[in-house]
Amino acid sequence: MIFKRVVFAGLFLVAAGTLCGSSLLGHHAATMFDTTKVIEITAKVKELQWTNPHIWIQIEVQNADGVRQEWSIEGGGPNSLSRQGWRPTTFKPGETVTLRINPMRDGTNAGLFVGVKFSDGKTLGRWDAQP
Amino acid sequence: MLIDAIAMCFLQRKAWGIALLAVRENDKLCLQTRFAKGHPMTYCMIRSAVLGALAISIAFTPRLASGQQRASGALPDWSGVWQMVGPTVFDTSTVEPPNGRAGDPGVRERPPYNDEWEARYRKNVDSIQKGVFPDPVNLCGTPHGFPRVLNLPDVYEFVVRPEQVWIIGENGPNILRIYTDGRKHPAPEDLWPTYTGDSVGHWENDTLVVDTISAKGAIDGDVIVDRTGLILSEAMHVVTRMKKVDDSTIEAQIVIEDSKALKSPWRVTKRYRRLPADTRVYDYSCAENNRNPVTPSGRTLTLGPDGKPIDRVVD
Repeated sequence: MIFKRVVFAGLFLVAAGTLCGSSLLGHHAATMFDTTKVIEITAKVKELQWTNPHIWIQIEVQNADGVRQEWSIEGGGPNSLSRQGWRPTTFKPGETVTLRINPMRDGTNAGLFVGVKFSDGKTLGRWDAQP
Repeated sequence: MLIDAIAMCFLQRKAWGIALLAVRENDKLCLQTRFAKGHPMTYCMIRSAVLGALAISIAFTPRLASGQQRASGALPDWSGVWQMVGPTVFDTSTVEPPNGRAGDPGVRERPPYNDEWEARYRKNVDSIQKGVFPDPVNLCGTPHGFPRVLNLPDVYEFVVRPEQVWIIGENGPNILRIYTDGRKHPAPEDLWPTYTGDSVGHWENDTLVVDTISAKGAIDGDVIVDRTGLILSEAMHVVTRMKKVDDSTIEAQIVIEDSKALKSPWRVTKRYRRLPADTRVYDYSCAENNRNPVTPSGRTLTLGPDGKPIDRVVD
């Protein structure tokens, strides 16, 4: 299966504040993430780490050169997320999802979770945060 | 005469000593006076009359003064699971920009700092801008401290008992113990700064009045008030008035005095809303999978699944 990174950070500048993701993080500041940008990536789920202090969604993304790379997407804590309907099975290994994230400021392969659309069309998080 | 209760106090006036003895004589309760000179005199009431008078006295006591513990049946119901309203900015009424969130570069609040502490706060705000302001709780293990314990993410439980009130944060370790059994703060020589300080409280009708001293403040740089970089000193003296303002809202009115840091009292209001009755509270273990360690320079890293930093700059 081929995974395509469909958009790039530079294309999706948005206003600070309206899409700020720092409220998701109860444990540390979100200064490593550029919360003024949202990028959208389509990827294959490798693993959901349902752990404190934050959950991590490990995904595989194919870059523009066709090279498959692992990305780490950080989310909120499992306690708060569970009260928003998340479960350890919310992301299933092997499934294809479309994620919207705040990218790392230094351009490395990680980001802060903003929203997700699953293959059945269901969404979680702030999917209305348009890139 | 059967005397099976012993008493209570001894009054000394000039050369005369007066002893008051509470005694029980058959079905009567008696007060016996004994003078240093002269014969004892005994005044008795039947026990039912005494108990009735006592019950009436309790029922019509409008409130308990500081220093008295309230019976469990007279305490307000704060049961359930609660969540702080709004983001973890400590004083949302003074935050700049108005929609700013704690930890966002450039966001700050306006406590009435003196010049020295305003400069210290400004330095923290600048460090956040540079991405090198560490949150002490990233170290995984220390409490958030006071008054940040009133400013936590995740949920709260407020356990009201006659002798103590416990404010329990799911995000922790964070437990604020408030002694309501009438005790005072320890003497200064028996106090040392701790993360949550020493809190004693009393009830004024359904308002819990909490007096907190001896919190650690910014000593050693290991306690902040929120991620805008707010700090207070160990000289803080905080009075918090908490009450349920409606069935789904508890409000805390916090008045902070700090002779080292503030020019005038800083008044902050926090609110907590009740979550649905079936809400559960879970473990919080910061050390379980902390992929955001802090470098010696104060930079928060992001680790990959292999435990190695993803960041280009690691210090």
